[in-house]
Amino acid sequence: MTAPILELRGLTRRFGGVVALDGLDLVVRRGTVTALIGPNGAGKSTAFQCISGVIRPDAGKVLLDGQDITGARPDRITAAGLVRSFQIARGIPRLTVLENLLLYGQHQPGEAVLGAIFSPAATRRREGALRERAVAVAARLNLARVLDNQAAALSGGQKKLLEIGRALMAEPRLLLLDEPVAGVNPTLAAEIAGHIAHLRDEGMTVLVVEHHMDFVASLCDPVIVMAEGRHLAEGDFRAIAGDARVQEAYMGRRAHA
Amino acid sequence: MIQDWRDVVQILLNGVMAGSLLMLPAIGFNCIFAVLRYPNFAVAGFATIGAFAGWVANAQWGLPAGVALMAAFLVAGAAGLLAEEAALKPLRPAGPLTVAIASVALTLLLENVVRFFFGNELRGYDLPVLRDWRFDGIRIGPQQLANTLYALATAGALFLLLAFTRLGRAMRAVADNPTLADIKGVDPDRIARVAVFIGAGLAGFGGMLIGLDTSIDPLTGFRVVLSVFAAAVVGGLGSIPGAALGAMVVGIGEEMSSVLLEPAYRTVTAFLAILLVLMLRPQGLLGARG
Amino acid sequence: MEAYLVAMLVFAGFYALMALGLNVIWGLAGMVNLGLVGFFAVGAYASALLTTKLMWPMPLGWAAGAALAAAAGAAMAVIVARLRGDYLAIVTLGFAEVIRLVASNEIWLTNGTDGISGIPGPWRGAVTPQEFNLVFLAIVWTAVAIGFLLLARLSHSPFGRVLRAVREDEDVAAVAGKPVLWFKVRAFCLGAAIVGLSGALYAHYNAYIAPDGFAPLLTIYVVLALTAGGVGSMRGAVLGAVLVLVLLEGTRFLAAAVPGVSPVQKAALREGIIALSLILLLRLRPQGLIPERTRTLHAPKATP
Repeated sequence: MTAPILELRGLTRRFGGVVALDGLDLVVRRGTVTALIGPNGAGKSTAFQCISGVIRPDAGKVLLDGQDITGARPDRITAAGLVRSFQIARGIPRLTVLENLLLYGQHQPGEAVLGAIFSPAATRRREGALRERAVAVAARLNLARVLDNQAAALSGGQKKLLEIGRALMAEPRLLLLDEPVAGVNPTLAAEIAGHIAHLRDEGMTVLVVEHHMDFVASLCDPVIVMAEGRHLAEGDFRAIAGDARVQEAYMGRRAHA
Repeated sequence: MIQDWRDVVQILLNGVMAGSLLMLPAIGFNCIFAVLRYPNFAVAGFATIGAFAGWVANAQWGLPAGVALMAAFLVAGAAGLLAEEAALKPLRPAGPLTVAIASVALTLLLENVVRFFFGNELRGYDLPVLRDWRFDGIRIGPQQLANTLYALATAGALFLLLAFTRLGRAMRAVADNPTLADIKGVDPDRIARVAVFIGAGLAGFGGMLIGLDTSIDPLTGFRVVLSVFAAAVVGGLGSIPGAALGAMVVGIGEEMSSVLLEPAYRTVTAFLAILLVLMLRPQGLLGARG
Repeated sequence: MEAYLVAMLVFAGFYALMALGLNVIWGLAGMVNLGLVGFFAVGAYASALLTTKLMWPMPLGWAAGAALAAAAGAAMAVIVARLRGDYLAIVTLGFAEVIRLVASNEIWLTNGTDGISGIPGPWRGAVTPQEFNLVFLAIVWTAVAIGFLLLARLSHSPFGRVLRAVREDEDVAAVAGKPVLWFKVRAFCLGAAIVGLSGALYAHYNAYIAPDGFAPLLTIYVVLALTAGGVGSMRGAVLGAVLVLVLLEGTRFLAAAVPGVSPVQKAALREGIIALSLILLLRLRPQGLIPERTRTLHAPKATP
């Protein structure tokens, strides 16, 4: 087993009277594509929001490579090397695909007022490097042809790819993907799975929330199951699929619905 | 300066009476916000329109103040509905801030329509001159007391409408969740029109009450608009009971501050109240949403 | 006639500066500012007071006016940055009213509604009034030109890209690694500083300022200018300012041509037309005459 890159310890979050996370413990190991699954309302999205700093947990800890990032601002978490995608593709519609990618570039001196005005050379140099990276990212995700299109003009599947591409631009150590193949046709889903597997082979760690079970089965190991805001079970997909508690968690929910 | 308990009672009393003048425009503002989700700065214009409609009914046609208040409500409500349908509604797809900006322009437009027909001079209503009542050193103006009662009665009528009628329940449903209300067979468009009519009408009613308290000119509404926003924000944007409570808090706060500061700084007090609430409790005293 | 034209062009310069300032705050960063005239007044009063009471040299007064307006803008941005835009609209509107009230009532400082007169102007007295107008025309439009060049550069820089992202979706900008609050504060500061500078210049051109000169109407003019020119476009901001001035002066002649109306009615007609134009413009051409365009960074050809 490889070393953990992300650890959640007793993560808890309530909304009013509803307990969304109830002491979630979870470990993601380096170099894996780990899936986080569970019935609706299990707390997967809340866990994502807490990890990426969009909302603060009420209690518990989030450790990235042993460094405590609990409750840190999203931009700090990104700088620390953990980048998330959004479930509903939220590209900046009026910027082009290239600009959307460049936006996620880090260490750009031209993002300071004085830098933008008085250091055009440093800005241009960094912009050139980021652009090269953006072109490479676009090439591997089949977005090269649409680089100059506005993000609003992309197809649903291309928007999903752009979500992944933008996250890659920030050079993450750990990538959090929120339903990367929801609403995507099977061909493209397989293609996206291929991209993620490729990233893993290059040493990237990926944590995926996904409902699409074929996708999870083909790509993810281990699979972590959440129910009612807690860690319920963990293992490879086969073991999980055969686990009675997991079946009950899914079935129980279905009986309610 | 405060010398004994009577001064405190007098300040509180003045504060309640001042607050009740802000109450109806603030409720109107929140009523529109609750359903349409944008701040309609034109409440200032609606208040002015109401004040002048009431003035025409009262000073020119000789109707009693109570009847003129109804005219103020109806004319301001109609003006509000017309303005919403003609000017603001088409802008809704562009987002709430575009509508808000247009509503500032709208207030300017309404103010100048009034200025064109009535000029800039101050006008007073045709009211019997009454002497203040005195109780053990505490003064109450009968007209001010009547204004407070008008405001409270109107706010009470609105609460009854919202609490016990089908229309009221539908309005609350749309305010809580427009999409869900749509599914339940409530027409959000119709509810929006009703909310705008009532909201603008209440602003007009309140505008005339302000005029009854002093006098009117085309800037009547604009002069109190910051206090009205303060009442709405302090109570919680979109909350109708909140607007009523916020108006009282702002009214009493302004009255208390005018003991310490110059009376001209009442509005500054209102502004500080807005900042204080936004920093400490942005959802307001009774607001649910942040 | 020539004097009138020059004076109008000077005023167009004040509007252009304000529109540029608003364009940073509203156009790029997406924060409404309905209290523009408050920042304008802060700049005007600061520079007028420092140069008349403390005898500061004019350029220092102008810089101080801009700096003070920037500080007010920063404070405002920090207070409301985490809240929704509707609160910002209310707070900025209130800010402008408070500034006007303070200017009217702190008589020891501002001379109240009587205003401050005898504000120095560059070479005023040493040259003829007509020459003074031309000197000022050069100063204002130099300021506009410098402001335009710097802001256009900023708008197409990575800084401008982040501001646009903040405008469209704060969460995405934050996850992209950008400190959103800090970007908003800088945008508000920068915009307010330019508006403050415009106010400072205005005070020294006019030689006299009073609270009446800082009515909310002025904010509407500038919002109208930016909407007409194109929100988010720096060229649009300058063009819009000139157009608004033409509209303002045009309505003056128009109102004069309407027979049988009193001066008050003429004023009402003019203001009414301005208000109506803004509403119509928002409806008919919200993108303005020069729509916002990010400088298209064409992707380099991929090397095999």
